[in-house]
Amino acid sequence: MSVDEMNVAASQIKSQVQNEVVIELVNVNKWFGEFHVLKDINLSVYKGERIVICGPSGSGKSTLIRCINRLEEHQKGDILVNGVTLDSNLKNIDAIRGDVGMVFQSFNLFPHLTVLENCTLAPIWVKNTSKREAEETAMHYLTRVKIPEQAAKYPGQLSGGQQQRVAIARSLCMNPSIMLFDEPTSALDPEMISEVLDVMVGLAESGMTMIVVTHEMGFANKVADRIIFMDQGEIVEQNVPAEFFGNPKSERTKLFLSQILNH
Amino acid sequence: MANLDAADTTFRPKPNLPPPPNTVGAVGWMRKNLFSSVLNTLLTLGAMWLILSVAYTLFDWGVLKAVWVAENRRECLDRSPDGACWAGVIHWFNTFMYGRYPYAEQWRPNLGLVILILWMLPCWLPRVTGKIGIALSAVIIFPFLAGYLFAGGEKGLILQILVSAGIVTFITIWLHVLSCLLTGRSLPVHILGITGFTDKDDRLHKYPLIGAFGLALIVVLILQSGWEPPEVGTNLWGGLFLTLVISGVGITTALPSGVLLALGRRSRMPIIRVSCIAFIELFRSVPLITILFMAVTMMPLFLPETVTLNRLVQVIIAVCLFAAAYMAEIVRGGLQAIPKGQYEAAQSMGLNYWKMMALVVMPQALKLMIPNIVGNFIGLFKDTTLVSIIGLYDLLLMLKAVSQNPQWNGLYLEPFMFGTFVFFIFCFAMSTYSQHLERTLGSGQVRR
Repeated sequence: MSVDEMNVAASQIKSQVQNEVVIELVNVNKWFGEFHVLKDINLSVYKGERIVICGPSGSGKSTLIRCINRLEEHQKGDILVNGVTLDSNLKNIDAIRGDVGMVFQSFNLFPHLTVLENCTLAPIWVKNTSKREAEETAMHYLTRVKIPEQAAKYPGQLSGGQQQRVAIARSLCMNPSIMLFDEPTSALDPEMISEVLDVMVGLAESGMTMIVVTHEMGFANKVADRIIFMDQGEIVEQNVPAEFFGNPKSERTKLFLSQILNH
Repeated sequence: MANLDAADTTFRPKPNLPPPPNTVGAVGWMRKNLFSSVLNTLLTLGAMWLILSVAYTLFDWGVLKAVWVAENRRECLDRSPDGACWAGVIHWFNTFMYGRYPYAEQWRPNLGLVILILWMLPCWLPRVTGKIGIALSAVIIFPFLAGYLFAGGEKGLILQILVSAGIVTFITIWLHVLSCLLTGRSLPVHILGITGFTDKDDRLHKYPLIGAFGLALIVVLILQSGWEPPEVGTNLWGGLFLTLVISGVGITTALPSGVLLALGRRSRMPIIRVSCIAFIELFRSVPLITILFMAVTMMPLFLPETVTLNRLVQVIIAVCLFAAAYMAEIVRGGLQAIPKGQYEAAQSMGLNYWKMMALVVMPQALKLMIPNIVGNFIGLFKDTTLVSIIGLYDLLLMLKAVSQNPQWNGLYLEPFMFGTFVFFIFCFAMSTYSQHLERTLGSGQVRR
């Protein structure tokens, strides 16, 4: 992909969304020991934009979004979230984490707390919301992910799809402006994937800024404003879904798409 | 299917028949487990003979031929040479319980025990809120009240305040418990209602509560200033009472200090990590008896001569340090069983380190550790008998001392049998309670 094409793609994307950058990555580099996992990543995410990141395993896509709420530390470059620079300043990190929700591949619900308590824990202890108010918010979001009737159960009593929907509701209870999804459907049985994707589509339609690492290309095609393809720690190609699937520029992207779409 | 008529296609379940005789019930169980083969039958009979003969010998010695009332050991032997001399145990029972604690003051340890039981009791009552606070206050404030109750004597201003705080806390807890049980609302809610703060901002709510506590504290401080039970030196403390004091303090401090040490050992800050590792490894690598000797004989050498230390305090400090080091490793083991995803989920929601540990990680880790923690408590309880070697008259040394009394010279077996019984009761109770905790805390929380 040439620089010209990149710019064309970027301007197409910009025209679709509001022109306010909420996440900005400038020349981000990261190493795991000797292994160079992220190489000169530059990325701007606009408010309300839905981005899908795909790529082969080990390409650094999970690491990239985990850097955005600093579950991983980057060693070079700058990451700005809502204008706040991520560095070793703990206050900045806490502020950003309160505003950036994250959903994990393995749900990571707290098994010793009920579904409702999972949802109210952070609002009560981080935002000092009163218990009653936190429970109202939690029930609102549990209704939105269509499992209000499970509120009193423990996570271990729910199916995988239900657990992941609880995890989404739990993140939403903090009222975040950005949601990160790290392969949210990879650990699910096939018949449960759609119930989680439906919730995510609903969330996308409500205008939430979302970055989703996933292999669900149907979902990407349906909701993404932009698809980013990563390999070996670099962003190889990014484009709107129609162009990305219909007219991939690089050979690497074509190979990847042929591998995941042809079976 | 064509050749089957309608009667054959209708499914009729076969009636339930009783199982063959001698396969269920007591007879069935015995046939299966005790007499399934010739060898098994022989083993069963042999084991039964062994159990019955031991049980009979014990029963014959301990009950049938036992002497329950006698003035001294000679009288015991004269009456029944092959029987147990329980008269000696009965004669010395008070000493086994309290050591040389003056008889007239023994109500004080008893009262302390009753207060402790009443203090902790609300934790097992339904409909009572704030149980964690009650348990914490029992660990933090009760020791000062109990310590003064046991030791008595003059008290300085700080001790006055601590004792008063203990009394006020105890009264507050029971007012709160009664309020919860009778009206279903907590004491703070009532106080807010009376002072008219219910409708005001949540952040103002703490002021009337602090005010009420402070007022009660001042009243109690004035009332208790005249209360001064006579001093009972710690050299007079002994028996089961002393054993319970040492192990009780050791057990209650072991868990919090163990948690802090374990967190320190996993800390990213090198100085904290290294000092925690050094402490844990040092105290785990040295036998308890060595630490006790160090505490009693060596520590005074390092301190200025004007500082005189209480031997009991030295011993308790040594036991606490030892117990903390062991507990730290147990807690670390529990922490390692918590998946990384739990930490990440807590962090991604903005919980800081201490909130993450207190709300997410520790509750799960502690539940996994219950068997190990209680095992450690049981071990510590039994280990405190080592203090007898450095001359503290705990239960073990009291049991042993009987045989040196001229009147009861040579009476070893019966006091030790009694001691065995006492230790068994305490340790078995702890063990049973831990199994109960495992069952109740684990319910409904199947981990996937």
